[in-house]
Amino acid sequence: MDQMYAYKCNKCGKLHYPRYVACQNPDCDGREFEAIPLGGPCKLLTWTRAYNLPEGYMMPWLNFGIVEFPNGVRLTGQIGFDDGIESGMELLATVGKIRDKIIKYKETVEEPQYGFVFVKP
Amino acid sequence: MREVGIVGVGHSKFGKSDVSFLEMSAQAALEAMDDAGAKTGRRNHIDQVFVGTMGAGMVARISGLASALVDTLNIRPAMAETVENGPASGGSALKLGYMAIASGVANCVLVVGTEGMRAVTGWEGTDFVATMMHPEAEYPYGLTLPAFAGMFTRLVMDKYGVESKDLSIIAVKDHDNACLNPVAHIHRKVILERITNPAYINATNPLVADPLRQFDMCPVSDGAAALLLVAKDKQEEYGFGDKPFIKVAGVGSATDTHVVANREVPTDLLAVRLAAKKAYDMAGVGPKDVDVAELHDAFVILEVVESEETGLFPRGEGHLAARAGKTALHGEMPINTSGGLKAKGHPLGATGVSQIVELVRQLRGEAGERQVPDAKVGLAINFGGFGNNVVATVLTAE
Repeated sequence: MDQMYAYKCNKCGKLHYPRYVACQNPDCDGREFEAIPLGGPCKLLTWTRAYNLPEGYMMPWLNFGIVEFPNGVRLTGQIGFDDGIESGMELLATVGKIRDKIIKYKETVEEPQYGFVFVKP
Repeated sequence: MREVGIVGVGHSKFGKSDVSFLEMSAQAALEAMDDAGAKTGRRNHIDQVFVGTMGAGMVARISGLASALVDTLNIRPAMAETVENGPASGGSALKLGYMAIASGVANCVLVVGTEGMRAVTGWEGTDFVATMMHPEAEYPYGLTLPAFAGMFTRLVMDKYGVESKDLSIIAVKDHDNACLNPVAHIHRKVILERITNPAYINATNPLVADPLRQFDMCPVSDGAAALLLVAKDKQEEYGFGDKPFIKVAGVGSATDTHVVANREVPTDLLAVRLAAKKAYDMAGVGPKDVDVAELHDAFVILEVVESEETGLFPRGEGHLAARAGKTALHGEMPINTSGGLKAKGHPLGATGVSQIVELVRQLRGEAGERQVPDAKVGLAINFGGFGNNVVATVLTAE
């Protein structure tokens, strides 16, 4: 996967992430969406370094952040570096591997997952 | 609508259970039934059972738990359903119990909240809890509830000036209260200096999800709690007339965005505010009437913000109230006299019911050394997901 998307309501134009089945605008009842490429410059609103990770992550910690894009879309992703993380800093949202394995019924399978990874501009 | 009240309470010792999940749940139920004087077999009056649990199927590998409980307790043919609302499963089970009696569908309801968390490894437990998150936008990233709490704490600290030490002050208070609660998981006093001194804080109180540290969050516990609810018009007939009738005066719940990043105001807990308002309105009381509150402090920061969203303190001042000792056992607004999730423990589905057990004991005047004098109105907030489904309950003593 090399591209993530926001979802634009065909009726009112509201941008969404992630994908919903009904437009989240309280005054709209749209159900059709257009996929708009989402990534690039964004601003870090808050972050954490988590040391207690779910099964399958063989690393001492992971950094997570919530960012806001200039178009108003906010989302949570991994921060791909360790030093100098500060709320308010400018970042670039890229697509990267966020997990090696997922847990399916009764077994953990090798199946890399991809999603937002924030890097320094 | 009919008046509904609680006439029996039961509560396992939270911590690591030494009996099976089903037996732990059943023992708490029996304790609540015995407390009320409820009988099994032919003399049973319980016509509905609601069991709140988040992971019975995933962790304990038991589905249809309510059916299993009814059978082992010998209260067939009572109606029985298992209720899942994440960590607010217990509060939801109570709400449904209230609704069943108030509507006339049932007369006497057994409500059980239960969770077996320690049967799996810490990693597996963390993963299981994380399954509450959005399956595309959150869960695959390795995000956990502590990670969201860490990001939330940083926002609240930046906006309102909450300090790390304020969280520790609350943790110390909760541990003090838990020491007075026989069913709490952790009976250990904590010294503020020991968990805040920069010289050794990383050894005594390590970071878990920066800026959150170990003492800013709850332990992992097994546990079960239970309530016996009855219609006021059936209390005497069913033989529960000797027990104080602690009225379920108000119930309310509300939802918020599943995806945490999409919250309108990231430092607010909107669903707490809306749920509390519903419960207050229904009970005909307001925050000034509350004598004792059990707030869902899986992370200590939640006690601060919930105390504001429920109107107990003005916005941005919850930490100042805690700092001034107002939320301590003998303060002007005692919060989490049970020890809270922080020190009493947080077996997910059990928590909402456990909070009500504590309030009932307070309103009956049976809370022993942690009794709040003349407590007449109690408030509970049970918080599901990271605040996307919250249940509020107001209890009153006659």
